Amino acid sequence: MRLNRSILLVLLVGIVSSIAIIYFYLIQREFTKNHREFLTSTSKLKHSQSRLDYLILENSVYAYQNQDKIKNRIKKLLNEYKNLKESTILKDKTYTQIDEKIIALKEKIDSNLENIEDYLMFNAGIKNSLLFLTRHVENSELSKIDDNNIVIKANYILKHFYDTKRIQDLDYLENESFLLISDSKDKKVQEFVRKFNIHSKFLAKGFKKYINSVNSVLDNNVYNSIVSITTDFSKIALKDFKALDIFAFILFSIFILSLSFIIFLLYSYIQKNQALKHSLTYDQLTNLYNRKSLEYKLTHISKPTLLLINIDGFKNINDIYGNEVGDSLLIKIAQMLKKELTNLNIFRLGGDEFGTIFEDITENEVLKIANKLEKTISKHNFIFDNLKLNISVSIVTNNIFPILENADLTLKLLKHNPNKRVMKYTDNLNLKKSVQENMQIVEMIKSAIADDRVIPYFQPIINLQTSKIEKYEALVRIRLEDGTILSPFKFLEISKKSSDYHEITKIMINKIIQTAKEFPEYRFSLNISMLDILNEQLITMLFDCFEKNRDTVSRVDIELLESEFLEDTKKVQEFIEKLHSYGSKILIDDFGSGYSNFSYFSNLEIDIVKIDGSIVSEIINDHTKLHILKTIHQFTNGMNKTNIAEYVENREIALILKEIGIKYAQGYYFSQPLPRPLNDSKVII
Amino acid sequence: MFKLFIFISIIINLYANEPISPIPLKSGIDVEKAKLGRMLFFDTTLSKDNSTACVSCHNVFQGGADSNIVSKGFNGMSGNIQSPTVLNARYNFKQFWNGRVDTLSQQVDGPIHNPVEHNLNSELLEKRLNASKLYKKLFLNIYKKFDIKYKDAVDAIVEFEKGLITPNSKFDKYLRGEIKLTKNEKNGYRLFKQYGCITCHNGINVGSNSFQKMGTFVEYKSKNSYPDKEAITHKKIHHNVFKVPTLRNINLTAPYFHDGAAKTLKEAINMMAKHNLGVELSDKEIADLTLFLITLEGEKPTILESN
Repeated sequence: MRLNRSILLVLLVGIVSSIAIIYFYLIQREFTKNHREFLTSTSKLKHSQSRLDYLILENSVYAYQNQDKIKNRIKKLLNEYKNLKESTILKDKTYTQIDEKIIALKEKIDSNLENIEDYLMFNAGIKNSLLFLTRHVENSELSKIDDNNIVIKANYILKHFYDTKRIQDLDYLENESFLLISDSKDKKVQEFVRKFNIHSKFLAKGFKKYINSVNSVLDNNVYNSIVSITTDFSKIALKDFKALDIFAFILFSIFILSLSFIIFLLYSYIQKNQALKHSLTYDQLTNLYNRKSLEYKLTHISKPTLLLINIDGFKNINDIYGNEVGDSLLIKIAQMLKKELTNLNIFRLGGDEFGTIFEDITENEVLKIANKLEKTISKHNFIFDNLKLNISVSIVTNNIFPILENADLTLKLLKHNPNKRVMKYTDNLNLKKSVQENMQIVEMIKSAIADDRVIPYFQPIINLQTSKIEKYEALVRIRLEDGTILSPFKFLEISKKSSDYHEITKIMINKIIQTAKEFPEYRFSLNISMLDILNEQLITMLFDCFEKNRDTVSRVDIELLESEFLEDTKKVQEFIEKLHSYGSKILIDDFGSGYSNFSYFSNLEIDIVKIDGSIVSEIINDHTKLHILKTIHQFTNGMNKTNIAEYVENREIALILKEIGIKYAQGYYFSQPLPRPLNDSKVII
Repeated sequence: MFKLFIFISIIINLYANEPISPIPLKSGIDVEKAKLGRMLFFDTTLSKDNSTACVSCHNVFQGGADSNIVSKGFNGMSGNIQSPTVLNARYNFKQFWNGRVDTLSQQVDGPIHNPVEHNLNSELLEKRLNASKLYKKLFLNIYKKFDIKYKDAVDAIVEFEKGLITPNSKFDKYLRGEIKLTKNEKNGYRLFKQYGCITCHNGINVGSNSFQKMGTFVEYKSKNSYPDKEAITHKKIHHNVFKVPTLRNINLTAPYFHDGAAKTLKEAINMMAKHNLGVELSDKEIADLTLFLITLEGEKPTILESN
């Protein structure tokens, strides 16, 4: 989620900065273009102005000139001014000041052009008259005839005019007389003087206007104005360029920032990816390779041999010492495995299961390693603060496909064998066959329920004092179609994994009640596991049946079969109380073995204690067992509870029990379980 | 190739040094547009009373000007100045005698709106042209608009006027080195330069590129008053100042000067010599100058001939 948001953010920043970059590019391009356009226009205008100035100079120097050059240049200049005035950049408010100057420039240009027109006008006359006078003096034949002074004076005046034109100073003309005076009566002289004086007068008079016009043309500051406009423009433009620079800098910073951010994201993404990859490959608690890695490895090795290590009773360690200790134990075992199995990959397959894979190794070698490992672990003291733990492990080796499945099955088998801790899988173990058998059994149970072939067998319980059968323990059986009778150990466990168990229990209850009705002289007992009490559906069904047969069920007892450590004693108490309300009695089964212990008696209202067969059957040879039996008897009798001894296999045992004072006994010595209770209750001990 | 380049460079340089330059042989106009302009130029609907066309006062077949001293326009009223030639007018630095406008299109506005000339307003002109199917079709072809606009009509007239050039005058051919002038003509040109006529009458139009006062030496007095440059600038120095007129086709554009005071070329040359040059010319000089001026007559504009 956070990554997604970051990506979105980067995307947003990316889009925004892309737009900004495009915007900047356009602005920058537009500005540069407009800036260039303006400068080009000013430069062209400047050039035209200087060309025009030059042409005017040329005009003043040459006697005559093709004035089209001036005309064309002026046209060009005006056109260039128009272009400059229309420069895009001037529409920007920042450049209003420049725009105003350009408007003012037009006045200067116009006035200069007017001055040029006037200059050309005056210059024409001056030039023509000067040329005329030069030729007039040159061509005159006066020197040959007469008055030399006149010619000298004429030349003097002419020189003065030329000098004035060259010097362009009116003062030079002041206080000078430009008229020829002659008393000569010679017509030629008179004519010479007359013509000379016309032009001389014209020049003397016209020079003032001419020089003024020249000066005003020369003084035009159009060129300087353009230069000054360019300078001012550049000053303002520099600010704009600076702004663009800052903008570019900001953009660049954003760019760098987002780039860094992207790199950072990429980096963290890679890291997360690696962590994810790690978690896919490794077990997080022990940092060993996980099951997936093992499965992968198995398919990538040519001759793999798997070593599967399982901690015995790990669930109890977790339950008793807490998960913290359990986890620490797993870690310690992982470290130990690493130490013991150097150069090998260690895998944690889940829970309390570890494994390693050997490649191309003989079975003996693997078994050797497995045995050594088992011993090392079982000898090792695992210390947690002030707690010392010794554990045992089950180790399975297998090199036959499917490797993991076979090893798992072997492990299950091994778990039920308390004497062996290391086992090698072989096809002889028929593990898979049993799986198949299980399937067949499930089918068998279903058909048995459907065909009403689930039946109770009854084993008599004898009162040793009276030698009479008083009770029957009902035991579940399935009659196969061929008439064979199946013991519960063949199907009961399997049935518990489906709804069949519920159905079987229901059938049993109903049939026991039925039998109890037929035999009112006996009591009957039914086996229920303590775990079943937690199964509300089952208990509801049981009490439904009880409710319907209130009269009969006062003779139906319940044998509680303890198989696991029971935590919720409150439920059991409630159950027992309810049973008592029907007149039923509560038996505790297999006492003296497994989990049964004396603490039950403080919590639970137990009526009868059945002493476990493993004790009873050995009281003849084993003094300890006899002692235990006596102790149980004394203890329970003291609490006013009756005893039943199981597995009474011969007369000797029966007599000892009778002598001790055990009230009831059952076993093959008296009778094996029977399809129906006996009509005669009398037995001989 | 290199020789050709050198040759061209030399020719160009030669031209560049002469104060008079020849008229280009091609006008480079849009002929179709110019033909439309020609139609308008000859059309009397362009005057309020259907009496006057542009050509009425600018006889393009005869010098491009009016042989009357002042032209007759709307309702037979007279103008106030001698009609200047429309030929080669595109080379004028300014239009009208006093140069009050810069371009041909500005010039066209003048007579059309002038109450004593065409006396027409833009709206009426548009209305009249839009009433004509022929004009509608022609304008649509050229301007791609269904509605005829005054602006476009002026544009067409200007295009036509741009075509009114008279190239290949004898003098232009002489300038290009194609022919030789006669001895008298050449002497006329020499005098033209020596006396300083060239100072004002130069360039492609042999004039029309500067202003000059009529009567720099001897003050010129007309019977009537004419709109001179002073009328625009209100400066005393511009009294009697006019645009220097072109001398091309001068032999065809009598009478001369703004007031048509000179009926013949000889008179005109004499008057110029007296009033503007302060010289007296001999009959021989006048004759040679006249011969030179006649060499400035060019060919009739091709746009007048094409159909």
